[in-house]
Amino acid sequence: MKKAQEICPTTTMGKIKEGALIVDVRPNEEVEQANFDVPNYMHIPLNELEKRISEIPTHKEIVMVCRSGEKSLRTTYYLMNAGYENVYNMSGGILKWASKNFPTKGNVQELLASANCDCSQPNCC
Amino acid sequence: MSIAIKILGTGCPKCKATTELVEEVVKENNINATIEKIEDIMEIMQYNVLATPVLVINEKITIKGRVPSKNEIIELLK
Repeated sequence: MKKAQEICPTTTMGKIKEGALIVDVRPNEEVEQANFDVPNYMHIPLNELEKRISEIPTHKEIVMVCRSGEKSLRTTYYLMNAGYENVYNMSGGILKWASKNFPTKGNVQELLASANCDCSQPNCC
Repeated sequence: MSIAIKILGTGCPKCKATTELVEEVVKENNINATIEKIEDIMEIMQYNVLATPVLVINEKITIKGRVPSKNEIIELLK
């Protein structure tokens, strides 16, 4: 299996400007709390991806994102297995994106405050 | 013949709990089995699963995305 391509928020921003589509796989409540403020954004929660994969265009560059970059890495491989060729994972997720002051909306302070989690939250892993 | 059990997961609490449960069931019921914990993402994704933990028995995916009960594991290993 080919290794997934991982990119940082800065490279992601560059790709967005070139028309890449961000696919966010976080649960609804996390998206409602704080979100990416970018064009070309699509939200498909991880538990719906299997059913909704056909909504993701094959002809565009795709950047998979989540909270920390771990779940989205899985989804990156899932898309690669499904035949997507131009798919990337954004390492560090929205936590890294927000900490680098890239555009966000919602309660970013609360999001960043929750970053030091002990991994016992139900939606964390 | 020995049963090949694999638990796929990247080290989250649910994956650890599943591994512990499987180990307990195997020990308590004297089941002839090998238990392997797979944490490498590329190896996990060869099974093309989105949710972890995943319980694989003799290369067949039996449970994914949740911690199974002891009874479920026993039934699957019968």
